[in-house]
Amino acid sequence: MKHFQIPVEHTTLANGLRVVVSQDRTAPVVTVGVYYQIGFRLEPQGRSGFAHLFEHMMFQGSENAGKMEHIRLINSSGGLLNGTTNYDLTNYFESVPSNALERVLWLEADRMRALKVDDENLRNQRDVVKEEVRVNVMNQPYGGFPWLDLPPVAFRNWQNAHNFYGDFADLDAASLEDVQRFFHTYYAPNNAVLLMVGDLEPAGAFELARRYFEDIPANPKTPRADVTEKPQTEERRGEVEEKFGPLPAIAVGYTLPERGTHERNVAGIVDRVLHGGRAGRVYRGLVLEKQIAVEADGHAEIFDTNGPTQMVTRIFHKPEFSAEQTMAAFDEVIAELHEKLISEEELDAVKVKFRSDYYSMLEGGMGSYMPRFGLMHYLACLTLFDGDPDRINTALDGFLKVTPAEAQAFARKYLVAKNRAIVLRQPPALKGAA
Amino acid sequence: MTTTSTVPQKPASPRSTAPSLAPERPVQWPHREVRTLPNGLQVVLAESHAFPKIAAQLYFRAGNALVAHRSPGLASMTATVVRTGTASRSSHRIEEDLRRMGADLGTGAGADSSNISVAGLSEFSAGLLDLVADLARNASFPEDEFERERRQRLEEVKIERTTPGFLANERLRRVLFGQHPYAVVAPNEAQVAAYKHDDLVAYYKRHYSPSDAVLIVVGDFVTAEMFAQIERTFGDWRAPQPEAPHPPEPPHAKGRHVHLVHLPGSVQTQVLVGNLAITRRAPDWHATVLANAIYGGAFHSRLVMNIREQKGYTYSPRSGVNPLRQHGYFSVSAAVRNDVAAATLTEIFYEMDRIRALPVTPEELESARNYLTGVFSLGVATLDGLIGQLSTVCLDRLPESYLEDYRERVRALTADDVLGAARRHFDSADSQIVLVGDRAQIGEQAALFGDVTTYDTQGETIRAA
Repeated sequence: MKHFQIPVEHTTLANGLRVVVSQDRTAPVVTVGVYYQIGFRLEPQGRSGFAHLFEHMMFQGSENAGKMEHIRLINSSGGLLNGTTNYDLTNYFESVPSNALERVLWLEADRMRALKVDDENLRNQRDVVKEEVRVNVMNQPYGGFPWLDLPPVAFRNWQNAHNFYGDFADLDAASLEDVQRFFHTYYAPNNAVLLMVGDLEPAGAFELARRYFEDIPANPKTPRADVTEKPQTEERRGEVEEKFGPLPAIAVGYTLPERGTHERNVAGIVDRVLHGGRAGRVYRGLVLEKQIAVEADGHAEIFDTNGPTQMVTRIFHKPEFSAEQTMAAFDEVIAELHEKLISEEELDAVKVKFRSDYYSMLEGGMGSYMPRFGLMHYLACLTLFDGDPDRINTALDGFLKVTPAEAQAFARKYLVAKNRAIVLRQPPALKGAA
Repeated sequence: MTTTSTVPQKPASPRSTAPSLAPERPVQWPHREVRTLPNGLQVVLAESHAFPKIAAQLYFRAGNALVAHRSPGLASMTATVVRTGTASRSSHRIEEDLRRMGADLGTGAGADSSNISVAGLSEFSAGLLDLVADLARNASFPEDEFERERRQRLEEVKIERTTPGFLANERLRRVLFGQHPYAVVAPNEAQVAAYKHDDLVAYYKRHYSPSDAVLIVVGDFVTAEMFAQIERTFGDWRAPQPEAPHPPEPPHAKGRHVHLVHLPGSVQTQVLVGNLAITRRAPDWHATVLANAIYGGAFHSRLVMNIREQKGYTYSPRSGVNPLRQHGYFSVSAAVRNDVAAATLTEIFYEMDRIRALPVTPEELESARNYLTGVFSLGVATLDGLIGQLSTVCLDRLPESYLEDYRERVRALTADDVLGAARRHFDSADSQIVLVGDRAQIGEQAALFGDVTTYDTQGETIRAA
């Protein structure tokens, strides 16, 4: 195994803003992000979809950069920008030629300092968000499956269980006052981390961060929603009608061990035993061998969530098999993990792939035009959730020492019916056939 | 020059205006070595050592366009089955070998090429290349794997026909390309059902040949060692030269026409407008890409600002110049709420007519030139980006210096160049309009823009309601 080390330096400004930099001279470009520790899971009750709607508002104008100015200044500097709303964080990021670094920091500081938006901006972005929901969810086969379908079935705490994209009635009810209140509550420097990755000198980057961000006032009272779930005692099931697609689909989610535990590392490895393309046991069992399904894969959000999280399997099965038959085949795959130790050979192969995937995640991560997006993203999570960005260089170790016995113990404890939720997404013609 | 030295000692202004850009740092293209083996295989190597990984892509200049007239999608189906067995490896063994090397494998085909692509840990470079060669040379096409994959493809085809973006794209390509094979983007169910095992094998034997192939490897390796490895693995590969196709010319449609794909229950309308344009080999390619960036190809473009940021009609409007090997086309897309389908088309044509009628402003020109040259440099910094740029140059047989010259060529363009390109290639008067949605919601709006032909989701013409 080749020795591989990512350079990381970090500091905290007087107002609590954490700053993390990583130098990479591959090309004269830099990727910059500001991550706020507020996500759709943490948004206020009765305001479904607000965290995401608010993310759109952050592009609508700030103290010294009016509507369209953020986009114009980044594009005309030769860069790309975007923002995303996640479970436990919201991020704003740019990839630019490195000569635009200072300009990017000025823009991000300007909108951390003060949001300057009006009712017209809010109406406009409410319309844009509704079209986003239509194009991604309501007007697509299997839209929102299963990321919007599973949470209301799997969880009981509103924070984890509500519609993250937002009910249209809630979006319509959002006012400009809500926008400003949300901004002043959550968009404070002490609730954020600034990241700069790429062609830069760390000392100069820190100096720029201090210049543009350090006098933005902190908010000592940043609340955090309680996301804890009561222990689950039995399997949970739900059904969602599929409006367009012809195939019945099933999602199975198992709730994972908490972030920061070694069991979470074991979950990451077992996830890759089960999933990850054609070598995964789920695909091999259901698609290649039994040929019940035409597609079956899954994923566990090991790295970038900070609350109740599931390992999710998605199965699209042939209509001539029932949901019960499909689930029986899936359960055989799970039962094998309970009953038989994974061979050292299989485990070693999974670990090699895990390591390779880890590097790829850091190297790219958002298409080929946001260099090191994944590195920046994981550094942000390690800073906000674990307070330790240096773990970027040690995080792999925990996964690579998982043993067959630990994997079996994990399966027996977590991959059980009373720790899972199942959603059937079925075309109307097939409903009741299951 | 370092970032530190670009920082002025005191803030020039109290934060009320954006800082100007620091001096630009030059883009260093990774050194690349291009050689051709005696069997015709062109080899392109570029080192990049940021991460201990390599990516290798083997392309054959033969794709679905070659078989569109007799068996649409056959090249894709062939590529899919290629990964399911070789003379010495079972499907299971291939997948296990990949995982042991930390690798992902992709096999696929587009209109103009077929490819075998692998990315994995650099410590397994030799094994990864062996596997690519094994698939390219010794694929065994197991009957049972073929039958299983064909059934999976059949189900995928059914899902495609419920996806608005697919339906719009499929219809536009039909309309623009007529009898040319680019008209066909995917098979229908009957065509998938008609695939024969022998046809896949015949396609493979004929077109997976080194004589018209390119192997690109990027990542963490030493060029001389990698080249020696490639010579050992691919040097004794012999296969016949495939013959070049001579497809008919696409039609040049006159006048706007509306093609409505009826998707019952659709709560949105997928708008797609297009016309035939150019390939990357055209002398005004760069000017056309620049015009597109100002029109609708960037977030800060006229169309996005108009129908998203001002009017809120859509989340995702975009225009693009789409280069295939023999022909290209220009297209504009937006998924909009049903009641503004006509209003959206009005703005699409307003912006198209405006950029054809009036020169762009000096600010727009400068901004868009910066945008294209900057984004181009972003593409060098990842293995995916790098291999994508290199493959474009090789597959389209662009000049060797295309990548090095790109930024200078874009910087030299003028407002006149943009105006000329827009007039030649954004063909407002002869645009073909595709709308995918529920005809009860959008039929009347569609008729405002020309004669309407209505289709069902299987592509059959249906009579107006």
